[in-house]
Amino acid sequence: MSLVAEAFVSQIAAAEPWPENAVLYQQLKEEQILLSDNASSLAVQAFLQMCNLPVQVVCRANAEYMSPSGKVPFIRVGNQVVSELGPIVQFVKAKGHSLSDGLDEVQKAEMKAYMELVNNMLLTAELYLQWCDSTTVEEITHPRYGSPYPWPLNRILAYQKQWEVRRKMKAIGWAGKSLEQVFDDVDQCCQALSQRLGTQFYFFNKQPTELDALVFGHLFTILTTQLTSDELSEKVKNYSNLVTFCRRIEQQYFEGHDKDSSASARSSKGYLLS
Amino acid sequence: MAAPMELFCWAGGWGLPSVDPDCLAVLTYARFTGAPLKVHKVTNPWRSPSGCLPALKTEEEGVISQMHQIITHLRKQKYNADYDLSARQGADTLAFVSLLEEKLLPVLIHTFWVDAKNYVEHTRKWYAEAMPFPLNFFLPNRMHKRQLQRLQLMWGDSCLEDEEELEKEMYREALECLTLLSQRLGDQKFFFGDSPASLDAFVFSHLAPLLKARLPNGKLQQHLKSLQNLCDYCTSILSLYFPWDGGEWPGLEPPAEGTESEEEPHKRRNQILSVLVGLAAMIGYAFLSGIISIQRGTPGASGPRPIALEEEEDEEE
Repeated sequence: MSLVAEAFVSQIAAAEPWPENAVLYQQLKEEQILLSDNASSLAVQAFLQMCNLPVQVVCRANAEYMSPSGKVPFIRVGNQVVSELGPIVQFVKAKGHSLSDGLDEVQKAEMKAYMELVNNMLLTAELYLQWCDSTTVEEITHPRYGSPYPWPLNRILAYQKQWEVRRKMKAIGWAGKSLEQVFDDVDQCCQALSQRLGTQFYFFNKQPTELDALVFGHLFTILTTQLTSDELSEKVKNYSNLVTFCRRIEQQYFEGHDKDSSASARSSKGYLLS
Repeated sequence: MAAPMELFCWAGGWGLPSVDPDCLAVLTYARFTGAPLKVHKVTNPWRSPSGCLPALKTEEEGVISQMHQIITHLRKQKYNADYDLSARQGADTLAFVSLLEEKLLPVLIHTFWVDAKNYVEHTRKWYAEAMPFPLNFFLPNRMHKRQLQRLQLMWGDSCLEDEEELEKEMYREALECLTLLSQRLGDQKFFFGDSPASLDAFVFSHLAPLLKARLPNGKLQQHLKSLQNLCDYCTSILSLYFPWDGGEWPGLEPPAEGTESEEEPHKRRNQILSVLVGLAAMIGYAFLSGIISIQRGTPGASGPRPIALEEEEDEEE
């Protein structure tokens, strides 16, 4: 956003308090949503929960197309629409709620860096797994992605998205990676997160920040989603402090939220962290 | 580790040992760890064994191409700059490298390759002057297209209607990233204390071209110059680890001589050959179509004329 537009938007944002009818849109939970989108959506939900801002989760088949940037999830607050965790965090900050105010400059730098680490490695690995690994693509991604649409639209949309994602992978140099290397990267990333978390409750001080929300979103989704093989979730389970971290956040922020059960897994039985 | 590994990388310019951030990162890392590398500085990517730069030629594993993979290979060969780091510092390294790659690298690519003024007046000019004939005609443009495509894919498949605003947003994030790096560095000599680590190689390789190049359109550059500790950090690494390389390429004359003398015989030979071939083609055509005929004397004179007569006879008939 240009400076003028940004100032305008944040003025408007600041002018109104958070309404009761804020809505978060994502794809259909049981049939359509994929691992990476579910993770992003859960991260946003966790963040809003941590800020104590009520939001209702609505599932729409065309959520991706409704979103202003093409990515899910996005929230509608009043008459404004904001998508993706980064802009949502800024939007919420303009309304006067922030989780990272108490951090000093060096910690803010670290927080941003770790968020980029999760986006760079975990999210990319999830995308790779679901769009570039042929088994997963055939058995899970293609059937799910186009499920709300009739044939042949479902196949066309799925192939189109796959082509897009593969181009992106090529541009960032991940196209040449084997699945083993991708799992190694995930392992490295989890190791880094585990080191940073250590024995603390949250990544910074005693209060959760947007980094905690993002990490929770991704790790919880990885742990509770059934894929063709368990290797991805095994990589995360190797680090017990991360598993405890996910459980703690789930208990604190998502328990008793049965009506939209945002924490329930995509897989039907919701096999939880055992 | 018996024979030294060979590294092919882009040549240097603007006071740096190499102009390309990836090559510079590998070079810096090798200097930090003292890895014995035989460095070939080329201005022609086709001379590298894998067709792109940087490329590391090793005995055990053939040719390795990507910067990260090269550094991993060096680490496996026990040239590890991160040996002394604690696990937490190792985690921080990964995080900051991701930050650099997501926020700073796209904008660097934009500044050098996509921004029209910079590209035409600075980047393309350097590459066109450095590359040998005839690659300098089409290779910079091809690289430009490839970088543009890479940038479009990295930045988003979305918001292409609003390119200007997307650009502004990205520049803002890159400026923030620079500020964050500066805050993280603080007063220290290197990011993790007194000895350099791989993170220092990455940061230096991304910041140094930005600092040293004389860009006509330099918003990012100006912001970097305002962060004094980052500037000092770059200059100190340059002077500590590349003391003679820094002065090697003040303009283009010394390297031009260097590369030219290396390729001189070929270049000259190619030029002479092409002129000769051109001449031979023209003369041959002239002879064959009868524009020129040689009148040597009686035997020669009777040669072409009877043929000409015969042809006329054929035509008459």
